[in-house]
Amino acid sequence: MADKQYKLTFCDGSGCLKNHAREFRQLFEEELRRHQIQQNVQIHLSGCLGMCTKGPILIVNPGYIMYGNLRPEDAAEIVQEHLVNGRPVSRLIIQEDHLYNRFFRIFGDSEFFGRQMRIALRNCGVIDPEKIDDYLAMRGYEALAKVLTEMTPQQVIEEVKKSGLRGRGGAGFPTGLKWEYTAKQSDPEKYVICNADEGDPGAFMDRSAIEGDPHTVLEGMIIGGYAIGSRQGIIYIRAEYPLAVQRLKKAIEDARREGFLGERILGTDFSFDIRICLGAGAFVCGEETALIHSIEGFRGMPRPRPPYPSVSGLFGKPTLINNVETWANIPVIIIDGADWFSRIGTATSKGTKVFALAGKVRNTGLVEVPMGTTLRDIIFGIGGGIPNGKKFKAVQTGGPSGGCLPEKYLDTQIDYESLAKAGSIMGSGGMIVIDEDSCMVRMARFFVEFTQDESCGKCTPCREGTKRMLEILTRITRGQGKPGDIEKLERLGTMIQKASLCGLGQSAPNPVLSTIRNFREEYEEHIHQKKCRARECTALLSFVVQDNCVGCGACKRVCPVNAVSGNRKEKHSINPNLCIKCGQCYDACKFNAIAKV
Amino acid sequence: MDLIRKKRAEAVNRIISKGYLSTKRVYVGMATCEIAAGSKEVMAVFQDAIAKGLTDVYLSQKGCAGRCNLEPTVEVVEEGKIPVKYGLVTPERAREIIERHLKKGEVIQEWVI
Ligand SMILES: Cc1cc2nc3c(=O)[nH]c(=O)nc-3n(C[C@H](O)[C@H](O)[C@H](O)COP(=O)(O)O)c2cc1C
Repeated sequence: MADKQYKLTFCDGSGCLKNHAREFRQLFEEELRRHQIQQNVQIHLSGCLGMCTKGPILIVNPGYIMYGNLRPEDAAEIVQEHLVNGRPVSRLIIQEDHLYNRFFRIFGDSEFFGRQMRIALRNCGVIDPEKIDDYLAMRGYEALAKVLTEMTPQQVIEEVKKSGLRGRGGAGFPTGLKWEYTAKQSDPEKYVICNADEGDPGAFMDRSAIEGDPHTVLEGMIIGGYAIGSRQGIIYIRAEYPLAVQRLKKAIEDARREGFLGERILGTDFSFDIRICLGAGAFVCGEETALIHSIEGFRGMPRPRPPYPSVSGLFGKPTLINNVETWANIPVIIIDGADWFSRIGTATSKGTKVFALAGKVRNTGLVEVPMGTTLRDIIFGIGGGIPNGKKFKAVQTGGPSGGCLPEKYLDTQIDYESLAKAGSIMGSGGMIVIDEDSCMVRMARFFVEFTQDESCGKCTPCREGTKRMLEILTRITRGQGKPGDIEKLERLGTMIQKASLCGLGQSAPNPVLSTIRNFREEYEEHIHQKKCRARECTALLSFVVQDNCVGCGACKRVCPVNAVSGNRKEKHSINPNLCIKCGQCYDACKFNAIAKV
Repeated sequence: MDLIRKKRAEAVNRIISKGYLSTKRVYVGMATCEIAAGSKEVMAVFQDAIAKGLTDVYLSQKGCAGRCNLEPTVEVVEEGKIPVKYGLVTPERAREIIERHLKKGEVIQEWVI
């Protein structure tokens, strides 16, 4: 693909479409054909680039030359002058002065990145995370300088409020409001915390963000400290992220040396420092009150709220706690402005969200998309669909606190409210795609096993309730399900949701309840017909040798319990009474002659 | 505000003085995920080549851009050309990229993402 001379990116966001971007593109393509150079250019469509007032937008690479406010008659000129004669049309070039989206300059890989919009991850995979110079070159710490010299703390809070930014750690609480509450407290001693515990299995957004661009998190926190009147910041990060910790340490040292941290930052009266606190990697320690206990040196157990940390947090002092991704958005909001930021997204959810796309999709990876993007766009657009010709079955968002959405919800837009209405949650950004080969009961069981394990044990509904749920789910997957189990799970689930102390317990039943709601027939099949349609629950399967067996003996050799019999070159058979269903014969057979039925 | 502008200008100068404007810039992905996929070994190959006299190349690391299933990734950026991104780079592939792309300017199509 790199042999194409030019890559053209047309913004295909709704703002540009209103400005007749499609008609412009058609004209443009006609011009390309007229000059017979269509084979030299590669055309991409991108999602909203956030410059709606200047649409239609066209970016020409190499050179990252951005054209805006395009009118139909401009198409001929750009093709003739720029693409044929190699002279960009300066009259139509727009200067963008934005922090986000630099990746367009860097990444040739625009099928994957073209539909994304990178704000929090704007420097990830672009700069060298261990060099503060690289960050400075990307206008790093400019937001901090602006805040310290041109804005009062109150103005900073107003700006964050106006941006509509909501917490990216799961609950989606409006960030500006949280800042305002904390700022209002009169106690002179306050703390700022960055929550980098990231306990969801399969999630790695925060780790990648820190490893790719640690300074933006620091910058966000320093700005937060200024806004609420705090002198001390703490990053709570799990010890299992050694590289992220190492890069944070380096970043903190470099920032101190350059005068962005420590006493009298950039020569102003404001002083602020950041230290790192290592967590042992318990899921519950991501919950804010448990996290605070853990920093104080106690066991990581939640306590009832209120009082919220903004009133009484670390060491009883007012504490502002936000997620890594939330912090990473702050410098962009300050530089590019709340007005700009709040134009991206939906009515209630502004900006972008990072997801860790995993499971049965072609392109697994880290994606950042504007709020309002549909699940289908992410999975089948950016993700490239399901590999191996399999069928899509469900998408799980929100990890152990979230739910599974089947096909009919694929056109749901990503925002806090829409996902909740569909029966899942935004969560912190885990997104697992499930195909027809996965059993939904097992899936639910996996998450309950996780939450059961991670339950801190303080409150009974969570400690005992998840245990009982796990027992029932385990029985069902082993073929020992009983009539009434589904109803029992539902009853237990609702009770745990209502009676648990913290978010862990309150959300632990979600994977079970949502799979029951959307895939009840799979539960019923397991219980009544002892059947697992995804053929994952081995206890419900039997292994049978089919007629195409050539009698090579491979299965016989690997069987650990001698359940396979048969003479060489003759069809073998498996004795179901001896078989322990370990599946080794199935894997060993080179002729696909063993079937799971 | 002026201070930060100055700092930025200085930073840019420092980056340039380290050879940023070399004809070819090579970025190797070095996040936990990339390293797990083997990017340290790939980095070593490039470092070795530069130690042994490969010139006109600015070598740098970068964080994870999110292309998990294609890691390790290596990017070759040349001023005025479309950046080339290679996926699933092994030490052997890295050596070939040095020989064919960096030295002879040939883009190795099969490995481009
Ligand atoms: C069981 C549990 C685990 C949590 N884990 C995390 C986590 O790993 N990272 C995080 O940022 N927030 C986590 N939270 C949410 C935090 O309690 C809190 O809402 C968040 O840090 C606030 O920051 P935000 O407003 O920027 O999202 C968790 C909550 C619960 C109940």
